[in-house]
Amino acid sequence: MLEATLEDLQARALERIRGARSMEELEAARVEALGRKGALGHISKELGKLPPEERARVGRLLNAVKQCLEESFEARRKEFEEEALRRRLEAEWLDLTLPAPEPKRGHFHPVTQVQAEIEDLFTSLGFTVLDGPEVETEYHNFDALNIPPDHPARDVQDTFWLTDGNLLRTHTSPVQIRGMERFKPPLRMIAPGRVFRNEEVDASHEHTFYQVEGMMVDREVSVAHLIYFMKLMVNAIFRREVAVRLRPGYFPFVEPGFELDMQCLLCEGAGCPACKHSGWVEMIGCGLVHPNVLRMSGIDPEEWMGFAFGLGLTRLVMMRFGIDDIRYLQSGDLRFLHQF
Amino acid sequence: MKFSFNWIRQLTENLHVSPQDLGRLITTKTAECEGVDAYGEHLAHVCVARVLAVEPIGSGRNKKVLVETGRYGLKTVVCGAPNCRPGMVSAYVPPGTRLDGREIGVAVIDGVASEGMLASGAELGINRDASGILELDGEPGAPLPGCEPDHVLEIDNKAITHRPDLWGHHGLAREVAAITGAALREPVRLDLLPEGAAPVRVEIEDLELCPRYSALALENVTVGPSPLWLQYRLQAVGLNPINNVVDVTNYVMAELAQPMHAFDWDLLRGPAICVRPARDGERLLALNEQEYRLDQRDLVIADARGPIALAGVIGGLDTGIHEGTRRIVLESACFQASSIRKTSSRHKLRTDASMRFEKAQDPVNTVRGLARALELLRQVCPGIRVAGGVADAGRPLPVPPSILLPVEWLCRKLGRAVEPAEVTRILKRLGFGVEEAEPGALRVTVPSWRATRDVSIKDDLVEEVGRMIGYDAIAPQAPAVVVAPPPPSPERLFHRAVRRTMVELGFTEVYNYSFVGEEQARRFGMDPADHVRVANPIGTDRTLLRRSLLPEIFENILENSKHYEHFRIFEIGREIHKQPAGLPREIPHMMAAIYSRQGVEDGLMELKRAAEHLMEGCELCPGFSRSYEHPARAGSVVWRGTVVGRLFELHPSLLEGRAAVLDLDLQVMLALQEDGKRYRPIRRFPASAFDLSVIADRRELAANLSRQLADLAAPELEAITYLRQYSGPPLPEGKKSVSFRLTVAAPDRTLSSEEVGAIRARIIEGMRARGYDFRL
Ligand SMILES: [Zn+2]
Repeated sequence: MLEATLEDLQARALERIRGARSMEELEAARVEALGRKGALGHISKELGKLPPEERARVGRLLNAVKQCLEESFEARRKEFEEEALRRRLEAEWLDLTLPAPEPKRGHFHPVTQVQAEIEDLFTSLGFTVLDGPEVETEYHNFDALNIPPDHPARDVQDTFWLTDGNLLRTHTSPVQIRGMERFKPPLRMIAPGRVFRNEEVDASHEHTFYQVEGMMVDREVSVAHLIYFMKLMVNAIFRREVAVRLRPGYFPFVEPGFELDMQCLLCEGAGCPACKHSGWVEMIGCGLVHPNVLRMSGIDPEEWMGFAFGLGLTRLVMMRFGIDDIRYLQSGDLRFLHQF
Repeated sequence: MKFSFNWIRQLTENLHVSPQDLGRLITTKTAECEGVDAYGEHLAHVCVARVLAVEPIGSGRNKKVLVETGRYGLKTVVCGAPNCRPGMVSAYVPPGTRLDGREIGVAVIDGVASEGMLASGAELGINRDASGILELDGEPGAPLPGCEPDHVLEIDNKAITHRPDLWGHHGLAREVAAITGAALREPVRLDLLPEGAAPVRVEIEDLELCPRYSALALENVTVGPSPLWLQYRLQAVGLNPINNVVDVTNYVMAELAQPMHAFDWDLLRGPAICVRPARDGERLLALNEQEYRLDQRDLVIADARGPIALAGVIGGLDTGIHEGTRRIVLESACFQASSIRKTSSRHKLRTDASMRFEKAQDPVNTVRGLARALELLRQVCPGIRVAGGVADAGRPLPVPPSILLPVEWLCRKLGRAVEPAEVTRILKRLGFGVEEAEPGALRVTVPSWRATRDVSIKDDLVEEVGRMIGYDAIAPQAPAVVVAPPPPSPERLFHRAVRRTMVELGFTEVYNYSFVGEEQARRFGMDPADHVRVANPIGTDRTLLRRSLLPEIFENILENSKHYEHFRIFEIGREIHKQPAGLPREIPHMMAAIYSRQGVEDGLMELKRAAEHLMEGCELCPGFSRSYEHPARAGSVVWRGTVVGRLFELHPSLLEGRAAVLDLDLQVMLALQEDGKRYRPIRRFPASAFDLSVIADRRELAANLSRQLADLAAPELEAITYLRQYSGPPLPEGKKSVSFRLTVAAPDRTLSSEEVGAIRARIIEGMRARGYDFRL
């Protein structure tokens, strides 16, 4: 009697499991058959009333039915879960070619980029990076650099004078003086910065541009050492071996003074409009520090020697990126700046 | 400065170097040669020709001319020159010759085929006379006398400012001789100078301003055009041929770097030539036909009537050489460089003479100039006679300085060994006197033409030796120095970190000028009087030094908004603040801006996020607003209790769209940086959290609510976090609800739910006592 009921119950329950169209229907069927108050529970309560030998037989059958149904439920549940996962994955398709949300990364100014490279290079060589004021005294910009009062470099037309008698520095060289005032020798320093010349602006001239000053003062500093550092710098900046030449150049604060030319990268020295057909491009003014400059900064030129250089950073940046109009650098024009 | 290759060759012996190679050698050893250009190439083909017959053609000035050219045979040419006549001798240019970049061909003019042309001095580059064809002597077919093809070397003026001697061909020829090993010729014969008393007297008032003034008087002068060779020479180096007397003075200047001037002696008044400061208000009508008003800062040459020349700059028109001049006084003087430079720049008058004098010329050179001029005048001005001896006023010539040069020291400076014999040879070739002073040291005497300013210490000699052995002969060498990390530069590193953060957050770096105009300053509420002012600004919009980065950032926003709907920019630059005395204060600032034309992007909050990236825990304190700020969207940025900047939207009246701006003082921020971080143990007992929604007025600051909640939750408060805010039904108009999550804990145990409940009740009660309500 109970056995027939069990077999009937199993058949009906299996029917409902197969027929369930959703997780909810399946759960309802499970509760009806296997739940605490479900059909199987009801039968197991009846079990106690049976004689012992029959109880054992029906009990085994009951367990077999229960296990069968549980396995079926589980299998069907998995089917539903897999289906649900499949649908979710399907629905979550994403077009990865869409752009990432704004903002995009910004851009460093090209001068910042090259300046940082030079700072890093010289820092790795034991040079400290110094800074000086953009508004300078006549003393630091001229006198202390051995530029006499009647030197053409002091002409009004080149210098921005301020009504308070100070001036906008015309070169980064005053930082040499400030460096020597602050640190005692031996010293190695560079000083990148903004400089000013009262010049009409056109594609190759600006009244505001950038230089990097450099200086080394030690017991033994020679032209050979200067050449060593200059070559190192040029090769590092252009990331290749660049031919350079040193020729006489006149700057009152060095003696001897040089112009360092590097071979024109556009024509490889053959001559082109960019290098005025000479094959060489003027890059760095340099030399051994003039004894008067050392003396004025309280350093005995009989004990100490030094070299100094001034690099046209703006010009270097233009060469590095092939910029043909200097005015873009200070224009704030994002159509230009977004390229770097 | 232009140099004629032929001239240099004439001043040297055995110069076997091409003009191009010479240009390169001069660049690497002396001064930059900016170019070497062929000059008068066509003169290889041009020859003397005799006009045989002239026949008018057409209705114009053109004539059909038959010429005997010797070299090229009989030729027919068409010529329109008014002076073309039978029997004259002129210059013939055959077809195929290039003149001024244009090839002369066989052209048919007025029906006549012209086989080449007869040419004027201007067409041939010999002088500037284009009024007619050249009038010559000589046999047909001969080359034009003294007019050979030449090359012009262009030396950068800036590269020779310290070398007075290089402003003449002889000085450069000396360098060339030293470089190439050629011999230097001496063009001056001092023995030509006459002995005896001078017929003119020279008086110098100030020997500082005029250390030497030499003069030579000459008579029986015939003024006329110079011979072709002289005109051609001057023309090649860019000097304008005028007449034989003036041309000789210019020739001597171009050769010896000694400027000279010729006065018409008959037009001078009084017994003496006086060199003196001008009297205030004196005037000089100069050779350029301009009148100059002088004052006592100007040095003049004067006769009894007044100034006859502005010393070292320009001569007077009234006493100049003219066609009828019969007697002349040649001036060859030396003036103080700085005085000449000042006068020339004050009067905005730079002449070939002033350019040379401002380089500090050699006083020894004055009589050398006279001797050379006399020799040349005898060639180009037949019949000329000296009228007495040389007048020579001035102070004694300076003693040539002598320098002790230790050779071992020299080698250390160069970083290369040089034999004492080589040092001696090099210096001697450059005109220095050299003898051995002691073992290992040389006694070097500086020649007068290098001693005025250029060479005075042993370091100057390092340059002389270094450049002559060649810097490419010095091998690069790493110095033997102590290896140590350089002193740190915290400001640089900090600015770099700020830059990096801003770029990562999407901002693009701009560089702006340090200048602003008064209008710009006023627009942003700044008084122009508070700015450092430029005395000689480049333009009226660049008269002040910026006290804020904002005016230029604002310009960037306006300009870029023409091309972009939205963008982010920033600049790191210095504000320059006027001080009562001394240098202004330069304060580094970082200013960032977010622009959105549609006003969509929440620029203010994005900038606040940037500020928080740069300064963890910084706060915004609204309070006041400035004229250019949006009055409801502005506040100060406070970090660690200190105001470090402003965050605001630009006032909507200033632009279309929305622009938010963050301005930070990097100097203050750097000072507030902390390093000494210390670890705190992680709490061992779990914390509890609950949410509270406070109802407040719409303009109540969230930070204010948060602070009050935190006060009431202390000491158990671990953290308080803003969740959201809400306004709208069922809240009354003008009210909002702001929700926070509070986390509370005890250090030594887990708080029971009753304890947490009590804290929560305490907070609610406290807030209610302050008039707030809650959404519970
Ligand atoms: Zn090139």
